[in-house]
Amino acid sequence: MDEKKKQAYGIGNAILIVLLALTIGEFLLGNFADVWSIVWAPLIAIAVLKAFFVVRDFMHVRRLWTGDEEEHA
Amino acid sequence: MSSVTTTLNEYRRREGTNRLGLWLFLISDTFVFAGMFVARFYLLGSGTRPEVSQELGLAITTLLLISSYFMYTAETAMAFGDTRKYYRSLMVTIALGTLFLIGVVAVEWPLAHYDGSVPTSIFFLMTGFHAFHVLTGIFFLVIVYRNSKKGLYTAERHWPVEAAAVYWHFVDVVWIFFYPALYLIGGVAG
Repeated sequence: MDEKKKQAYGIGNAILIVLLALTIGEFLLGNFADVWSIVWAPLIAIAVLKAFFVVRDFMHVRRLWTGDEEEHA
Repeated sequence: MSSVTTTLNEYRRREGTNRLGLWLFLISDTFVFAGMFVARFYLLGSGTRPEVSQELGLAITTLLLISSYFMYTAETAMAFGDTRKYYRSLMVTIALGTLFLIGVVAVEWPLAHYDGSVPTSIFFLMTGFHAFHVLTGIFFLVIVYRNSKKGLYTAERHWPVEAAAVYWHFVDVVWIFFYPALYLIGGVAG
């Protein structure tokens, strides 16, 4: 139980670090890249990646088809 | 013992149905946000964006991402019966959400100067609709907090906490796409 708890909190910490790092990355890209015509593509790609992590790990989309047995097993 | 197990199974079954309903609602809401997102690129292209404060944009985006982290922590704490951590994290989420709302409505909006042009119209439409969702999310979280204090949720039965968390993360996901669309892609119009 304690191991599962630790693991669950650890996922939250890891995802937060990834989200903040990607946000700083897109801020730098958006502010210092001069090629407006192509910079939208990596920015959208970063947004999709961030959304993927939030939907998968924070919103637990998997519970839609597995229920929440993992947490209460 | 048997009836308790049966009741819990029944709760899980209902929870599954509720979860599906919530996600269907979120998918339908996504179409509205997606319409605005597409309209922004249709009207402004990828070379133009509204005139907004970059530092403020980064600050409020960071606030919302951190609030999502605390919401996740709150839900996890509730699932493991860690009540103190649950209340603390939920309160931090509400506080950060409120700060985000203040940042957009009370700080960014006056700076943006609505002038009737297409870029400012898009900016106010997208941030306004999103801010309304943040506001309803905060109401939702306050209700969940009050009900928690009344002892309505347990580690095994806390669907409303999960629903509030999923809704809050959805609002975060929307902003993840709105942030580059409004603040980063393109040069300042005019």
